Amino acid sequence: MTLTECYRALGGDYDAVIGRLRSERLVQKFVLKFPADGSYELLLRSLEEGNAQEAFRAAHTIKGMCQNLSFTLLEKSATALTESLRGGSLDGYAEYLPAVRADYERTVAAIAQFADGLAG
Amino acid sequence: MQKGKGREKILIVDDSEMNRSILADMLADEFDIEEAEDGEAALAILDRSAKTFSLVLLDIVMPKKDGFDVLSEMNRTRLIEDLPVIMVSAETASDQIERAYSLGATDFIMRPFDASIVHRRVLNTIFLYVKQRQLLGIIEQQIDENERDSSMMVDILSHIVEFRNGESGLHILHVRTITDFLLRKLVRKTDRYPLTDRDISVIAKASALHDIGKIGIDDKILNKPGKLTDEEFAVMKTHSMIGANMLEGLSAHKDNPLVQHAYEICRWHHERWDGRGYPDGLKGDEIPISAQIVALADVYDALTSERVYKPPLPPEEAKEMILAGKCGTFNPLLLECLSDEFDRIRDELSHDAQANAARREIRNYAEAVHHAKGVSASERTLKLLDYERMKFNFYAELTEEVQFEYLVDDDLLKLSPSGAKKFGVETELLHPAEDLRLREQLGKTWFEGIIQFFRKTSPQDPEFRYECELPIGGELRWYRVIVRAIWSDDIEPRITSAIGKLMDVHELHNELASLKESSIRDPLTGLLNRNGVGEEIDRKLANYPAHKYAVAVFDIDFFKNANDTYGHLFGDRVLRVVADRLIHGTRAGDLCARIGGDEFLIVFEYDTDIHPIIARVFGAICGAVGDFALTVSMGICEKSSADEEYKGLFRKADIALYAAKKQGRSRYRFYDESMEDDAALKDADLPDSPKTVD
Repeated sequence: MTLTECYRALGGDYDAVIGRLRSERLVQKFVLKFPADGSYELLLRSLEEGNAQEAFRAAHTIKGMCQNLSFTLLEKSATALTESLRGGSLDGYAEYLPAVRADYERTVAAIAQFADGLAG
Repeated sequence: MQKGKGREKILIVDDSEMNRSILADMLADEFDIEEAEDGEAALAILDRSAKTFSLVLLDIVMPKKDGFDVLSEMNRTRLIEDLPVIMVSAETASDQIERAYSLGATDFIMRPFDASIVHRRVLNTIFLYVKQRQLLGIIEQQIDENERDSSMMVDILSHIVEFRNGESGLHILHVRTITDFLLRKLVRKTDRYPLTDRDISVIAKASALHDIGKIGIDDKILNKPGKLTDEEFAVMKTHSMIGANMLEGLSAHKDNPLVQHAYEICRWHHERWDGRGYPDGLKGDEIPISAQIVALADVYDALTSERVYKPPLPPEEAKEMILAGKCGTFNPLLLECLSDEFDRIRDELSHDAQANAARREIRNYAEAVHHAKGVSASERTLKLLDYERMKFNFYAELTEEVQFEYLVDDDLLKLSPSGAKKFGVETELLHPAEDLRLREQLGKTWFEGIIQFFRKTSPQDPEFRYECELPIGGELRWYRVIVRAIWSDDIEPRITSAIGKLMDVHELHNELASLKESSIRDPLTGLLNRNGVGEEIDRKLANYPAHKYAVAVFDIDFFKNANDTYGHLFGDRVLRVVADRLIHGTRAGDLCARIGGDEFLIVFEYDTDIHPIIARVFGAICGAVGDFALTVSMGICEKSSADEEYKGLFRKADIALYAAKKQGRSRYRFYDESMEDDAALKDADLPDSPKTVD
C-alpha cells in the first residue's frame, strides 16, 4: 500500500497535503504518528466524565491535526463535534460523536495497513 | 539573520506534539527551536529567557493556559512590544482572530498551513523586528553622541568663564533654568516664535555660553568690586562681540544648532527691546528670541544674586523692578511670561540648582528620545536599546574609534581589529601591563591609568572618562578614553571586565587652544592685545625676576590725521606696517603688543645696555608709509629693582612717553623722576596736527 492509497482509504486529500508540506517523507512521518496521539482517547474519556472543556480541547486538537494532514473526512466530522462542544455545553455532542468514531476508526485502520506494508 | 553568535530562536507553543513537530520540521533548517506544550510552560520559558527568542508561534486552544492567556500576560509585562507573536490556529471564528490581533499578535496563520507560507511569514516577521531594533539603536546612539558632544563643549567653555569669574558657576545654571522656563511658557502663549522642544533644549543649553566673551576681559575689570569707570565699562561691553567671534571661529561646528544659537545669544544678549542696547543697537524682534530671553534671564539672576558690589535682592523686588522697566526694556510678551512663571522660577532657583539641572536634563533627554522614535518605549525596550547601543558603541567597527575590552581574571586585553592595526599590536594581549609593544605605542602609563581609574568606579557608577595625550603612530595627539567597568552581581561585587574606547579629540583640543589664543591677540595686527601682554609679562617677571627688563610704550604721531586724511583703511594699513616693523626689529624673546588704538608696547629682555637696542628699534619703526611720514613718540622705563611690577613699569614708561610728546614728538625718552611733576599736567591737551607744533 502506498501513501497515496492510504490517503484514498482514509478519505484524505493527498495532493493537498503534499502541496503544503512539500515532502513525502514528512507527510509519511506525521501520518504514522497520528494513531499514537492521545487526543482521541482523551476526547472519549472526557465525554464519559462530563468534562466539556477538556472534550472541546481534544476535539479541537483532532481537528487541527486533520487539517494539517488533510484528513478531509475526519476533519469534517471532528469540526462538527468541536463546534457542538464549544462554550462548555454537553447538550448536543451525541449527534456528532458517532461520525467521528467511525471516521477515526477508518483512518487509523488505513494507517495501520499502510504501516504493515512498510514493515513487511 | 544572525542574532549574536547563534541563530534566531523560535518558541513553538502547541499542545499537540504533532502540530509542534510539523512546524519544527518546517523551520529547523534555519532556526533554533524550543517547544512548549501549553501556555503555562510557554510563560515559564519566556520568564526565564525571553531575550533569547526572536519569535513565538502560538496556538490558541491549549490546556492550563490558552493562547489568549499567554498574549494577555505578555501585554502585562510589555514583552509583546519586543517579541513578535504569530498565532497558528485552526480557529476560523473572526472574533477570535480579532481578539488575537487586538492583544498584539503580529500575524495569524490558519491551519492547515502551507510550509512555504509559514516559512515566509516567520522570516518576514523576524526581519521586520530585527530591523526595527537596529534602527532604534542607531537613532538612540546618534542622539546620545550629539548630546554628549555638545554637553562637553558647553561644559568646557562655560568652565573657562567660571574659572575666570568666581560667581558664574551658579549664574550659568540659573540662567539656563530661567531660559528653559520662559521659553516653554512663551511657546504655550503664542505661535509667533516657531520653536520645537528640541530648539528649546538647545537654546537653554546654549544660554550657558552667554558670557564666554568674558574670557577676553581683563580680570581686574571683570572682578572689580566698585563701579566701573566709563573706560572700563567700554572694555566690559566688548565681551558680547568677543564671545560671538569665538563661536564664529568654530568653523568645524558652524552648522551645529547649538553653536548657531550660542552665537546669537553671545552677540545680542545685551541688546534692548527699545534699540538702546549694544553692540548692534538691534530693536524689537530684530533681536533673536534666544538672545531676548537670555537677556531677561541674565538680568533677573544678576538682581537676585549676590555680587562683589551688591547684596542680593528678594525675588519679588527684582521682578517688580524688571516689570517697571528699571533694568532695561524687554519684549512685553516675555515680561508676561516672567510674571506667569515667576512662582515656579523663584522656587526652582531656591532649591539645589545642580540637582534640578540634572533632573531637567534627564527629562529633556527622555523627551528627545521619545520624539525621535514617535513610539512609546517600555522600560524593557529601553533596556534592550541600552544593550544594543552598548554593543554598537563598543564593537562596531565603523568608526575611527578604537574599542577595547579587558578581562580581569585572564589579564587579557582585547582590541578591535582596526585598533590593533592602529597600534601595531595583536588583537589579544596577555598581561598588557608588561607588553612592550603596547607601552611603546601608547606610552608607559596608558594601561596603568585605566587600571587606576577602574578601582574608583562602583557598580552604581561604573563609567569613567578622561583625556590624555598619547603618542599613537609616533605623533602626540589628544585622546578621550571612555571606559565602563563591568561589575559582577555577587553579594560583594567585583570588577570582572571592562569595555571602552579611545577617540581622537585632537582637533577639538586645538580648537579650544586657539580660542584661548584668539582672546589674547589683536585680530588686526596679530600682536598680543592688552590682556595678552599683561599675562605674558607677569609670567616672565615671576619666572625670571633677576633678568634685566625694559618696558617701552609708543604711539604713532598724528595718527588721527592719517585716518582723517587717507581714511580708516589706510589707518589700518599703517597699524599693520608698524606691527610688521616691530616684529622684524625686535628679537624673539621680546614681547610686542598693540594695547589701544595706535598705542603699542614692547617688553625688552637684555643683557648689558638697553640704549643701542632702543635706538635700533626706534629707527626701524619710523619711515614713511605712502604719503604719510610715519614717526612715533616713545617712552621707556628700565626695571630698576627685582620686585618692581609690570603695572609700575608701564606707568613710568607712559610718563616718559608723555614727556617725549611734549618735547615735540618723533623721539624717545627714558623715564626719570623729574618727569613725575609734569605727569600731573598730563591731561592738558596736546595738539592733534603737526601744523600747530612749535
